[in-house]
Amino acid sequence: MSLRNIGVVYRKELKDSLRDRRTVISMVVVPILLFPALTMGMGYLGAKMMTEAKQEVPEVMVVGGNDSPRLMEALKSNKKINAVPASDDYIAQISNKKVRAAVIIPANFDAAAERGEGKTIVIDYYEGEVKSQLAEKTIEDSLTDYREKLARQLVAARGVPGQLAKPFETDDENVAPPEKVAGSSLGGLIPYFVIILALTGAMYPAMDLTAGEKERGTMETILTSPVARTDLVLGKFFMVLTASMATAILSLSSMGVSFLFAKNTLDRLLSDEAHGVHFSIDPSAVLAVFVMILPLSVLFSAVLLAIALFAKSFREAQTYLSPLTIIVIMPAIIALLPGIELNSRTALIPILSTTLVCKELVGGSHPWGFITLIFFASCLYASIAIGVAVSLFNRESVLFRA
Amino acid sequence: MVHSPAQFPVKIEFQFMSEAIVSTPPPPIIEVGELSKHFRTFHRREGIWGGLQNLFYREYKTVAAVDRVSFTINRGEMVGYIGPNGAGKSTSIKMLTGILVPTSGKALVNGYIPYKQRRQYVRTIGVVFGQRTQLWWDIAVIESFKLLRRIYDVSQRDFDARMEQFNHVLGISDFLYTPVRKLSLGERMRCDLAAALLHNPPLLFLDEPTIGLDVVAKHHIREFLRTVNREYQTTVLLTTHDLDDIEELCKRILIIDHGKVLFDGPLEVLKSRLLRTKHIKFAVKQQIDSDTLRLFAGDGVSVDQVDEVTFRLRFDRTKVSGADLIRKLLAEHDVRDLLIEDEPIEEIIKRIYAGEASLVAD
Repeated sequence: MSLRNIGVVYRKELKDSLRDRRTVISMVVVPILLFPALTMGMGYLGAKMMTEAKQEVPEVMVVGGNDSPRLMEALKSNKKINAVPASDDYIAQISNKKVRAAVIIPANFDAAAERGEGKTIVIDYYEGEVKSQLAEKTIEDSLTDYREKLARQLVAARGVPGQLAKPFETDDENVAPPEKVAGSSLGGLIPYFVIILALTGAMYPAMDLTAGEKERGTMETILTSPVARTDLVLGKFFMVLTASMATAILSLSSMGVSFLFAKNTLDRLLSDEAHGVHFSIDPSAVLAVFVMILPLSVLFSAVLLAIALFAKSFREAQTYLSPLTIIVIMPAIIALLPGIELNSRTALIPILSTTLVCKELVGGSHPWGFITLIFFASCLYASIAIGVAVSLFNRESVLFRA
Repeated sequence: MVHSPAQFPVKIEFQFMSEAIVSTPPPPIIEVGELSKHFRTFHRREGIWGGLQNLFYREYKTVAAVDRVSFTINRGEMVGYIGPNGAGKSTSIKMLTGILVPTSGKALVNGYIPYKQRRQYVRTIGVVFGQRTQLWWDIAVIESFKLLRRIYDVSQRDFDARMEQFNHVLGISDFLYTPVRKLSLGERMRCDLAAALLHNPPLLFLDEPTIGLDVVAKHHIREFLRTVNREYQTTVLLTTHDLDDIEELCKRILIIDHGKVLFDGPLEVLKSRLLRTKHIKFAVKQQIDSDTLRLFAGDGVSVDQVDEVTFRLRFDRTKVSGADLIRKLLAEHDVRDLLIEDEPIEEIIKRIYAGEASLVAD
């Protein structure tokens, strides 16, 4: 092994790759554009839809209630809904989004309520339809208010203090630190994207440097040079790793910048605290994520290189590597599922463990034992993969597969 | 670093020469004995059912791509290594350049065992694969040269001197800064030759160096190879399908087929041994009835018409005397012009490939 020759090969591959438009696109352009597009596009669209839905005054059909003027008055005086006269096909109208919901008031409701008979008002809405759900919530809030008001009046009429109608209050208070809140909403997603990008960034160069080189016929000629095969594969490996890391770093930075931008823009666009998602992520957490993803990047680079080397052509390499994307995405998705937590077993599963620990890191907690275990386990897997790639490169049957 | 003879100081060279004269001749530069390479390939069954069977059970068979090949090549020789597709030429070259490990047999090149001492050995050879390139696809030619300079530890002074020389002989200065993928085949081949000779190797392997090139480009390449061979005594082993390469460059040819050497010797010997048919091409003053010429046809002689007044007689020189034929022709017809031609070398090689191997055996 000669560091100098590894360096020569690495520089050659780097120069070659940087002149290749496809590598530059997968390594630089995609990660830089993906996150702003994702956060801005999806965040903006989502927030805009929510705002629109909230600003809309839903049309609500009131079925019955002609004999209950007080309830009708309460519903009509609520400015957040628009009560319209009923028609028989109200269920179809809700389904067709002509109206958002319907309130079905039983006969003689006012009188029954005064007697405390507890009749039921039914709210018909369309589950899964955001605007219909919001309308349902508004109606329910409005009716709850009316019920409390009525209860106080009824109790007072009987000469009992009004407070007895509502003997206690509840209040909720969030104890999670702000970054933990961000962690739960975004923490799982960030490492997931970075891991996928670390893979896709390495994929193209790995194919190009092995199967591509075989296909173009430059493999034989480099093999006739005095560069040892081990130096050759290590030089190539470092290039693939560079691409993988560059993609990861660029995507992390791009993500950071776009989140900051998105936070400012969205805050200005929607000055409503209710949907202000917390975007604050600690820069040191980003650095920690990066350190944890490094051995994973090494693993990806070595595995991709070994598999792609086996292929005779670029197309064959693509056929082999596409399933690998799914193999990588699966553990990352599993890590996003609720209930999957870091323990001594999940800590040993590559990719899954990294995703889980990164989720913790972004969420502001530092399980040092797991961090150490996962880092070294990943390093071990990565070095095994490098060993396999080197030994494959030294095998004639793989290099010159008939 | 191993020096080519051209780089030896004069004094040492003299010693070497005088020693050589009084004692044994210098050792051959390539020594190959009983060299074999076997590949294991799997037999593919036909049809959909066969394809499914292939997935689960494979029948392997061993193919001898090179089968006990022996030859030696001396310093300064230019040898043509020819054979039909799949004959084992490229596999031989790959073994001799240290890429492939032979299954059995020995190879000693420039004093090295190629596959065992590969890294020291390859510094003493240059390799050009006509259908491949050792220049890197997306980067400028000059960058490839600079990388090769580092890989082969060529000093900056030697590098500059050689680049200037290559510019002069190969005319590559015009496209040194062009990425390889944008070069024409002829330009690329010139650059590949320069790359292979950058470290001044005493031995050059060329695998189909003129494939796909136009007439002018071929001429340039051949001219260059002749110059290198003459001025630096560079030994050249080249495989080719273009027999003009052989006729213009090589005094000696090695014919290989099915992994075995069929012929090893000078081109002239091959011709004299295998040249069976000769052609007499002649033109007559006045248009004649081709039927009258049919009289010539017979045992060992055939006639065809080239144009209205030109004809060609082909005859088997083992059966018919050329002199007799000409005498008869001149006596019976008013011949304006006459030319005696050998059978083209392509025809001879075609016959060897077609199985007339017994003809070349000693």
